[in-house]
Amino acid sequence: MRRDKNIMSSQAITEDEAALYDRQIRLWGLDAQKRMRASDVLVIGVNGLTGEVMKNIVLAGINSLTILDDAEVTEDHLSAMFVVSSDHLGKKVAEASLNAIRRLNPLVKVTADVSSVKDKDAEFFKQFHIVCMSSVDITLLTRVNDICREHKVKFFCGSVFGFYGFMFSDLGTHEYAEEIKVSKSDTSNGPTAAKQRRLNSSNSKPETETVTVKNTSHFESFKSTLSVDWSTLTPKQLKKTSHIYFITRSLLEFSTKSGHKPKMGDIDKLLAQCTETMTNLKLDPSLLLDKFTPSMACTPEMSPVCAVIGGVLGQEILKAVSQKDAPHNNYFLFNPENNAGIVETIHSKAFLPPAKKSTVVEELIL
Amino acid sequence: MAASSTVETQPVTMESNANTNNSINNGSSLLTATSSTNTNSPFQQNLVSSIKNAKLFVVGAGGIGCELLKNLVLVGFQDIHLIDLDTIDVSNLNRQFLFRKEHVGKSKSQVARESVLAYRKDVNIQAYHDSIFNSAYGVQFFKQFDVVLNALDNRAARTHVNRMCLAAKVIKRGLTECYECQPKPPQKSFPGCTIRNTPSEPIHCIVWAKHLFNQLFGEEDPDQDVSPDTEDPELAADAGKSALDKEAVQGATGGIQRASTRQWAEETKYDADKLFTKLFINDIHYLLSMENLWKNRRAPQPLDSDVNKLADSAEGDGGVDSGLSSQKVWSVEGCKQTFYSSLADLRLLKENSTDDTLVWDKTYLVRKPNPHKMLLNPCVLDKANPKCYVCSDKPEVILQVDPSSMTLQSLSEKVLKGELGMQSPDIELDDGKGTILLTDEEGVTEGNETKYLSEFNILEGSRLKCDDFLQEYNLVIIINVTTSLEEGELYKLIVDRSQLNAQPEKLPKEAKTEDSDDEMEVIEQNMAATGDRKRSASNGGDETISKKLKADDLTVS
Repeated sequence: MRRDKNIMSSQAITEDEAALYDRQIRLWGLDAQKRMRASDVLVIGVNGLTGEVMKNIVLAGINSLTILDDAEVTEDHLSAMFVVSSDHLGKKVAEASLNAIRRLNPLVKVTADVSSVKDKDAEFFKQFHIVCMSSVDITLLTRVNDICREHKVKFFCGSVFGFYGFMFSDLGTHEYAEEIKVSKSDTSNGPTAAKQRRLNSSNSKPETETVTVKNTSHFESFKSTLSVDWSTLTPKQLKKTSHIYFITRSLLEFSTKSGHKPKMGDIDKLLAQCTETMTNLKLDPSLLLDKFTPSMACTPEMSPVCAVIGGVLGQEILKAVSQKDAPHNNYFLFNPENNAGIVETIHSKAFLPPAKKSTVVEELIL
Repeated sequence: MAASSTVETQPVTMESNANTNNSINNGSSLLTATSSTNTNSPFQQNLVSSIKNAKLFVVGAGGIGCELLKNLVLVGFQDIHLIDLDTIDVSNLNRQFLFRKEHVGKSKSQVARESVLAYRKDVNIQAYHDSIFNSAYGVQFFKQFDVVLNALDNRAARTHVNRMCLAAKVIKRGLTECYECQPKPPQKSFPGCTIRNTPSEPIHCIVWAKHLFNQLFGEEDPDQDVSPDTEDPELAADAGKSALDKEAVQGATGGIQRASTRQWAEETKYDADKLFTKLFINDIHYLLSMENLWKNRRAPQPLDSDVNKLADSAEGDGGVDSGLSSQKVWSVEGCKQTFYSSLADLRLLKENSTDDTLVWDKTYLVRKPNPHKMLLNPCVLDKANPKCYVCSDKPEVILQVDPSSMTLQSLSEKVLKGELGMQSPDIELDDGKGTILLTDEEGVTEGNETKYLSEFNILEGSRLKCDDFLQEYNLVIIINVTTSLEEGELYKLIVDRSQLNAQPEKLPKEAKTEDSDDEMEVIEQNMAATGDRKRSASNGGDETISKKLKADDLTVS
């Protein structure tokens, strides 16, 4: 199924596809569309968040989607997922959602796998270009991420806890192209002052040109972002990090221990976990507790939050397969207290952004 | 450690939240306090019933509308009315997920309804395949709704819905911002001389083409001329004059400088050869005669210059061998053929249209995302602007104009409809007698349209009461007589009195309805966010740009 670490894009796009994808081809170009069309994606865990992700990437036109989940449809699915209804209660959720996802775009091959992710080995994950996992089990997330990293499969994960939610990406060493605008070095060649004034007064941009640059971005594994030594940060550096990251971390640790996301009855246990998580990180628990509303993390997935995080996550997957535009490195967090969406870079090398080299290229060869 | 005691988990009612105008920070209060209540909803019971009983109106069933509808239904809303005048196109299917191939050509609102009902049978959705501007959707209609949601792609419709919501009290007047409380950045416009003489970007050519379309088939507007502009400030006075003197060139245009382009085109029955010759040969020769323009630019090439060479320019594929028709670079000959066939098609369309004009549909513009650390900016409802020219108690605007140079029709079409978003305004002069200047009623004000404002004794300080019946919107226009407008500018609209005394010269020029497309506006909003709208013409613009560039730099991680 998967051919190479770089997605090959040899097959020609048909006129029918060009008509269907017309607006997005205008947006990201034919090459990006071809790369997308050649990409094989595995989604692990069906829920409101991955439901949004699957909708977004299937509509955009990937080659294939494999849905892996051994769980059955519950009430929680119904309030967060459009494509399953009460008729499906008790059925395997991967199969229950299959037809509706297929109908979104008949050009994409969609299959369901109702076995457990725990039974899958490296050979299985190697088949895909992208793995997108929604699990709250840190051990499992780490295991799958490590396998993907070793085999150069781009890894994404994310979860929504009530009104809170996050996504994480590990694209390994990721090369991408982006178009940036630079102002034309106009000296004597520009229009006269009179016209320039008129240009400015009517809000026109000065003359710019677009150049394509090739960049490389380095990502860390999920495990290594968990091992950041926060105690070495100055209070100022610490303040720059959103407290939502620590809430997310506490929610994941709670869920890993208890085997499920927190429910309304778990509020006290969750608050105890927050204190424990912060203490383990050698941080003051009040950094988190002063701002945290635990009941908002103890409901089923809120569908609008799924739409926000699933929208960003879906776009990050499309950016990764098309190798177009700078990916977010490496967390996206949603803060329901003020409806903000935050990109955090959490690296074990205490806040030093990875070295970046960009080259202007005439023609893009990735 | 003191955490658990400080955390608020006690439920309060939805109403009290609505009144605090700050419900987001009290999000916990919306939730059920125990896990046992209502298995299917995370909300406390009274909020659940508020959601269940609320009546919603979603305006637009396109890209935003489909997603919105899904989220509303999932959150638990059960009574949703949905309107869209559009039908489904194949190019919608990549994002409007409620539509599939077999739905192409069908009504968006109706198919969206059916698609939702296929998954959630217990929801009541009413679909309207209609325009929101239709008078059937008057104030009484709007009054039945608790919440109205705009999922629109153009400013005119958003503005109209805003007026209707204010009139129907869906928006609580004066409490929070209405859509028009903050002045919108002027819609993007380009100097006429750039469009007509020295286009340098693809967008300039698109604007030119839109103007040409309107000149030939749409609503004629003298500001949208496509012929060479002899008043280009780049032309030294004598150069422009010498160009004008070239009778040979003038003669070649067939004397059309005097008649309007439309009239001439109609007289020739949209003769493709004649139009092509004028636009792409004669006009270009004329432009070439404005020698100053080409000292530091590549001069344009009239299409008769080296006909063989032009005809030979082979069709390319943009460097990519995709074989797709949408990726082909057309030859000049191909462009010419398309021009001829489009002209013939549009002429037929125009003949079959009821009012003898065609309306330009849409443009597309690529937008680059601009990710900072804050990808989604937090937002709360702002307080209403007490000076808002729409939602304040007694809305007023000041119109700087020379009353002897503006007709009543210009006032109605350009200012009231074009700029102030009215649909069908009546105009009354507040002179103690209540003289009606313009109204829809037949026979009352006939013949007034073409008269100048000065003919109605409209002077400095005159107050014009403008009333839109459908929108139940009353606005007073105060006349400020001026003769110092910029070249080619008919009027200036001042929505905030303080601007009048401050720096009247530096007000941004409000542009015509150049583009009302959504993507376009996003760009303008970005610019407005970084730049002071009252910036001086000489340096402020550059500042905006440099900030934009910095933002772009941030996209590299």
